[in-house]
Parts: sequence; structure tokens; C-alpha cells
Amino acid sequence: MDTTITLKIPHIHLDPRTKLFMVFVVSSIVLMTATTPLAWVLRIMITLVPLLLLFSEGRGISALCFGLLYTVALLLMKFFLSTQSTGVVMALLTGYCGIVVQFLPAMITAWYLIRTTQIGEFLSAMQKMHIPDGLAISLAVLMRFFPTIKEEYGGIRDAMKMRGIMLGGGHASKMIEYRLIPLLFSCVSIGDELSAAAITRGLGGNKKRSSATELKLTGIDLLLMALFAILAVAFIIAKYL
Amino acid sequence: MIQLQHVNFEYKGSAFGSIRDLSLSVRQGEVILLCGASGSGKTTILRLINGLIPHFYNGTLSGEVTVCGKVIAQTGLHELAGIVGTVFQNPRSQFFSVDTDGEIVFGPENIGLAPDEILRRKAQVVQEMDLQPLLQRSLFQLSGGEKQKIACASVAALFPEVILLDEPSSNLDWKAIGELRRIIGQWKAQGKTILISEHRLWYINALADRVLYLKDGAISQEWRGDDFFSLDPETFRRLQLRPATIARSFLNTQKEPVEAMPSTDPITLHDYYFCYEQTQHLFRRHLSPHDTKEPLALSIPSLTLPYGRVIGLIGHNGAGKSTFLRCICGLEKRCPGRITLGGQTIRGKHALSACYLVMQDVNHQLFTDSVLSEVLLSMDSPDPERAGEILTSLGLQDYAETHPMALSGGQKQRVAIASAIAANASILLFDEPTSGLDYIHMCAVASLLSALSAQGKTILVSTHDPELLTLCADEIVQLDHGQLAAQYPLDDTSLPRLKAFFEGSCS
Repeated sequence: MDTTITLKIPHIHLDPRTKLFMVFVVSSIVLMTATTPLAWVLRIMITLVPLLLLFSEGRGISALCFGLLYTVALLLMKFFLSTQSTGVVMALLTGYCGIVVQFLPAMITAWYLIRTTQIGEFLSAMQKMHIPDGLAISLAVLMRFFPTIKEEYGGIRDAMKMRGIMLGGGHASKMIEYRLIPLLFSCVSIGDELSAAAITRGLGGNKKRSSATELKLTGIDLLLMALFAILAVAFIIAKYL
Repeated sequence: MIQLQHVNFEYKGSAFGSIRDLSLSVRQGEVILLCGASGSGKTTILRLINGLIPHFYNGTLSGEVTVCGKVIAQTGLHELAGIVGTVFQNPRSQFFSVDTDGEIVFGPENIGLAPDEILRRKAQVVQEMDLQPLLQRSLFQLSGGEKQKIACASVAALFPEVILLDEPSSNLDWKAIGELRRIIGQWKAQGKTILISEHRLWYINALADRVLYLKDGAISQEWRGDDFFSLDPETFRRLQLRPATIARSFLNTQKEPVEAMPSTDPITLHDYYFCYEQTQHLFRRHLSPHDTKEPLALSIPSLTLPYGRVIGLIGHNGAGKSTFLRCICGLEKRCPGRITLGGQTIRGKHALSACYLVMQDVNHQLFTDSVLSEVLLSMDSPDPERAGEILTSLGLQDYAETHPMALSGGQKQRVAIASAIAANASILLFDEPTSGLDYIHMCAVASLLSALSAQGKTILVSTHDPELLTLCADEIVQLDHGQLAAQYPLDDTSLPRLKAFFEGSCS
């Protein structure tokens, strides 16, 4: 019997551990500043990974947009910005480039992890890595909550449109307040009901949790992990030695 | 099987739903229906049995509850997981996984069963409940009825001996309630002990062995199942319960006489077309029904509605009721629809100010820290005097300074209506305002809708409750597969037609 559970068949099915490792490597390397040309090359290579992940999830257009933004940001940083830049425009540009170059790749990788990992799969991966249950369950709840927040936020936006308060009546603080307060209230009540439903079905007991899906590292997992490990080591060598 | 001995319970900080000196004993294989008004303690009893009280909800508890010989107060919730299963009211907030397969095996995984055993149980539950078409889907894309079915499956996969259902039909349409009835019947045949707390009673007819009527936290009356369902309609009304059969919903036709509005031009709606792309969130622009290859989720070329009346919108889940309401009030930008109202044509964004939708989840519509400022926020120029008048007309004058989130569900709904009136909306749309309400509160909503229409508001209300329609609707609009299936004024001659719709849709 085929026990792999997929919402939408991805082109490659990776083990959650591989994905976690990818998130770790991408986010740490992309956040470090590259100093030598070799380090730059390695950093750009690592940034290409989220691009490929977007493609594998059928988000080709998003991938192209991201690629374009990234190139522009990179060129701007190379030719226009330096540590001596001053002025409002320069400050804004620096902010934009920083977000695109340093945060977006990590965010895309994390999005991929959340989108393609089932909660049961994730919990058993955490167990195999001997992560304490408390932490694993908290992270799982977080994953479960992303789509909920999206749903609730959609409802709140609709309500704001009807009231004509999308712009908060001109006050920036109100704009945030009107979005956040109903969102917090509904998330708290959903969270409460969710926990009640989960613990009546035995979550958080002292028995060792089992899993219907046996996790196994396949060839592609090992290959990717090895590749990322090599890239990470090479980057550190290029940067510090 | 289940024993409650002189149990008293009060939630921390609230007397709502407390239990007073309640004793109850349930035999194995019995099916028990708990009925009574909101806050009478139905849910509290279920929480005492599944251990959420005292392990999850805080409060003062005395007396002893035992299930299968285990004293609940001294048994961990994870130990009870394989014995007591609970299906909750809200299908949105009771699943932990994101996919259906993961949800069915969630319980068995938690109690640490071997993988083969988990898969065997999953296969059995899937076969019994006919779930094959729902496997390998995202839970976020299922309808309320489908979610509730998965919730039942997830509970059943633990093979509990006791199954509790807490107002499981609140968010379901009639077809889904029929499925729920079948599942409960199956559990009964398997010899499970079942307790159901419910406001909608008709679907439990012939399933319940015993019926308990709760009042103020105590069992005030008790019947055998057959005796209860053959009580006369007058008794039901006196006990303030919803009717025991669908047919009886139609006995109650004492619609409150509303002063007829001076004849005003009717409201006409034109070109309401809408189409979802494969996923629910990506829309494609479709301006006419001719250039699309996919079936339209909504296709209403034109519809005329009487001004200043209550119009009931009926149809199955997925018939396009909610979509239609969202299109009318201008929330779906892709919809080309336009409204003609008193000689003016309103379209697109401008519909947002002429119409106001009171959502099913009113929590989304409350933004400020007091009821009064909520009303003021809706006005173009704040006018505290008029706001005061509006609040008084809705019976909210005593709550002007209260935080909206501290109000009850019905009061929140009225605050949302108050802001709609303040915004000068002339068309008010309600998306299932009575789901999960008890009989008294449903009557309150009905008379409020009638009163609003007497003030010259046109009300369009989507609902699955025939009782609500017989209490306040003047006209019926029926949708089917996104198209107008029927439209007729509701009076004594057309009542059988409405009755036929509801009876037909649940068989």
C-alpha cells in the first residue's frame, strides 16, 4: 500500500529532515556578508536553490519575479550603494536590497518546507532527530496555524472593506490596530478549540508517538544534504581563510 | 458505563453553563440526547465526561465523574483518548493536520499504536464511512460537512467506547446532516455509548434512547426517546426547543404583522457572474458567461427583489449562496454585477457602501474597544446622538462602553447590525445568522429582521433553518448550482413548496 501522503504531487518528495537542513544552511549563509568573490559566487549559488524549489511547486511565475528582483537588487548593491551612501532614497534602496538579497531566499525555503510537509511527517522527523516533544508540538502547531491566519485575515480584510476603514481613517497606527486586534482574538479562540480537540485525541501524552508513515532518507535526500554541507563548508573557508 | 454523582461545576469567572448537583448514569450502548437553551450546561456535561473539565478548563468542581470505571479527575487526558472520543461544534478548529489522511491517523499515532495497526484502522474507517473520495485532500479546501465527516472519522479511528457530539450539526447543511445521522446510526449499531448535545432535533429522531432536558445546570425533565419525539408541538414551544420534525417547522406561521412599506420601486440585480479558478483564491476575470469554458460558480443574469422586505436565500452548501452575497456587497471585484436601486445604478466598489454583510463569524467585523466607538466608526461624520439612538433601537444602550469581544454571540451580531445602520446601508445581507442558535435566540433574530425591514431596509438572509424563514421571510429565492432555481413570495399557498424543498433535501 502506498503510504506517502501528498496534497499535490510535488516533483521531488524530500524528507522533512533534508528540508530543515536546507532551511538552516540557506538562512545562515544568505545572512552572512560575502567578502571575497568566491564567497559571492557560493552565496548566489545557494540563492538559486529557492528558485528551483518554486519551480518544482509549479510557481514558475513567482520564481521569475523573484529572480528579476534579486538581479536588480544585486546590481544596485554592486554599483550604487556603498557604506558611505546617505540620504532618504539611498536608505530606502539599502532596505529594499537587504530584504530581497538577505531575507527572501530564506523565506522562500521556509515556505517550501511548510507547504510540502505534512504535520504527521514533520512530527516523526522531529522525533527521529530526538527533539523534545514540547518543542516539536509547538512547531507543528505553528505550521498548522499559517493557513488559518491566512483564512482569518482574509475575512477581516473583507470586513474592513465594507466599513471603508482599509486605510484606518488616515492613521497608520489604526490601520495596524484594526487588522491585528480581530486577528488576535480569533486566533486565540481557534487556538483554544484546537488544543481541546487535539488533547482529547491523545496529543502530548507520555506514550511515545508512533507514525503511520515510515520516514526514510532516499538517494536524492543524501545527495542534497551532501551538496549543502559542501557549499556551507566552502563558504566558510572562502570567507574566513 | 458513565456515572456522574452530585456534580457541581462553575467556570472560573463566569456563571454561564455551570452545573448544579447533577447526577446521571448512562448504560453501555445507550444513545442520549441533551437539549435545552444555550448556557443550560449541555456542553459542560460533555466536558466533564471527556476530561476537559478539570484538566483543561478551570473552575470549581465537586462530586465525582467516572467513565468505564476510571475516575476522570485522576485520569490523564491521554489515557482517556482511547476511551472517550469527542466531535466538536466548529469544523474549522478541530483538525490538527493539514491533510485528510494525516488527520484520520492522528489519534492512533498519538497513543503509539504500531504502524500496521494504524493503517488497518484507517482502512476500516475509510471503508465504513465511505471516505475514499476525501483522501489525499487539503482540509482547508473541504466544505464544512466534509470537514465534520473527517472529524468523525478521526474520532472513530481511536475505537472509543464512548462518543460525545457537541452540537455537531451547527455549521452543516441538510444533506450533510443526513450523512451525520447515518454515521451516528452506524455507531449505535456497533454498540457505542453516545451523548449528543443539540439544538436541531429532527435528525436524532429514532436514534435517541433517552432525552434529557436541561435547565439552569440541572436535568429538569427526562423522557424515553420515542415518547419525547411524539410530544405535541405545543410542549416543544413551551420548552423553547426547535421542532422535532421538519414538517413541524412549518406549523409555526404566526409571522409578526409588519406594516407594509409604501410602494417603492423594487431593487434589480443584473449580471451576477462569478467563477473560481481551480483553487478558491485565484480568480480570473470573466465579464460574461459566454467566454468561459469552466462552469460558473454563480450565474444570475437578472433578479428583482421587493424593496423593504425580508428575502430568504436557500440552497445546498456549494449552491453559491455565500458567493452571491459577497458579490452583491461588492467584495468580489471580478463580478460584473450591478444593482439598480431607486433609479440609481450602483456597481463595483460603490456597492460596498450601499450594502452591508453581517458575516457568519461576526468576530471579524468588530474592530474597536467599545460598542459606541464601533458604531461611530461607521459614520462619515461621528454623531454620538444618532449612535445612541441606533444602540437603543437594538437594545444595546446599556453596553455602549463595553468591549465588543466581551459580549455574547447574539449581542455581537447586533453590534454588527448597528454599524450597518450607522453606515446608512440600505441592503443588509446576512450569512446564516442563526447557525448554532437555540430556539429563543433564533426567534429574536427573526423579529429583529422583521423590524429592520419595517424601517425600510431590504434584507437578504441565507439560511438552512426553515423555522427562521417561516418566522420572518416575505419572499424566497432558491439557488442551485449557482443559478436561480426558483423565486416566490412566501405565504400560505407557497408554504408547501418551501416544505417540499427542505424535506427533499434531507432524504
